[in-house]
Amino acid sequence: MSTKVLIVDDEIEFASTLAERLVIRDYDAKAVYTAEDAITAVQSEPPDVVLLDLRMPGANGFEVLSTIKSVDPSIEVILLTGQLKSESVVEGIPTGLFDYIVKPVDIAELVKKINSASEKRNSGTP
Amino acid sequence: MEHDKLTPSQFNFIGTILSLFSHEMNNHLAIVKNSVGLIGDFIRLGKTSRKDLQEILKTIQSIENQIEETSYFCDNLSGFGHGMEKPLSTFSVHKCVEELIILLRRLASQRRVQLEKNLSVNIPLIHNNPLMLQFLIFCFIEKNLKRLDDNSKIIIKTTYSNNSIEISIIPKGNFIKDEEGICKDEIYQQLIRQLGGNISQKTAGEEITIQLPISQSSAAT
Repeated sequence: MSTKVLIVDDEIEFASTLAERLVIRDYDAKAVYTAEDAITAVQSEPPDVVLLDLRMPGANGFEVLSTIKSVDPSIEVILLTGQLKSESVVEGIPTGLFDYIVKPVDIAELVKKINSASEKRNSGTP
Repeated sequence: MEHDKLTPSQFNFIGTILSLFSHEMNNHLAIVKNSVGLIGDFIRLGKTSRKDLQEILKTIQSIENQIEETSYFCDNLSGFGHGMEKPLSTFSVHKCVEELIILLRRLASQRRVQLEKNLSVNIPLIHNNPLMLQFLIFCFIEKNLKRLDDNSKIIIKTTYSNNSIEISIIPKGNFIKDEEGICKDEIYQQLIRQLGGNISQKTAGEEITIQLPISQSSAAT
């Protein structure tokens, strides 16, 4: 069964193209563009891995992360960020974040991180 | 003395513009990299059906659009930078307002507020300090961004009468009214003195109007 990936980013062009690139690589990928739609998608069709933009209109990425974890703690979240040396990203790791990736995204690196996140979810390790 | 007090806030303003610009540019580059990567994926997989080729052409078109948008965005930062080259110059207030709206678009959208312009036609050029004017408009936009509810709007309106230009910053939406009146703050009074104009506020916490003369030969350097 394909790994289910939910991409959450208000940059529609970026998120939809990334979803397409992941579908080509046999992932079951879907893009949503608001924090509200992300929460709805996580509740109705829980993904294995969420790629979450840190900065979205009216929403803090860490608050969205916390809501996702409250729905299902086993969903792994990878943060998408434009800040290479962001202290806030590093600080987020102990609070349930699996990893982060810096934009512009390298697809090979992203695929590796998605696979590791998916393996962790399937192994059931906390 | 006045300059000493203003400098940290002005650095903050320029820093905000630069960090918003770099964030926006990074997003533009991320979109282009992804789109180029998608075309690469199609080629590597040997996808050459008519439908696939249409998809590739669509992606190429979106890269072109993105590059045009990026170029327009850079042009606005360039205009903003040129405004800092000389303390006094003859410039278009509209260009100043438009640059600021484009450069602050992301900040406003993160707070779910829309920036809108309502610019009067046939406004003459003015001789003054464009950076100082943009800083003053920015201060009032920022104040409103902090207190407006989601899905609100800030309108920047210009009018021309009696040899002076008026720039109004009008919040539209729910917000907490400031009984003291925003423009009473000493820092804004210093700024407007240096620009040789006036600031007025219609009702406490509501529409703020900056009035500037067409020529301000004694404006701050």
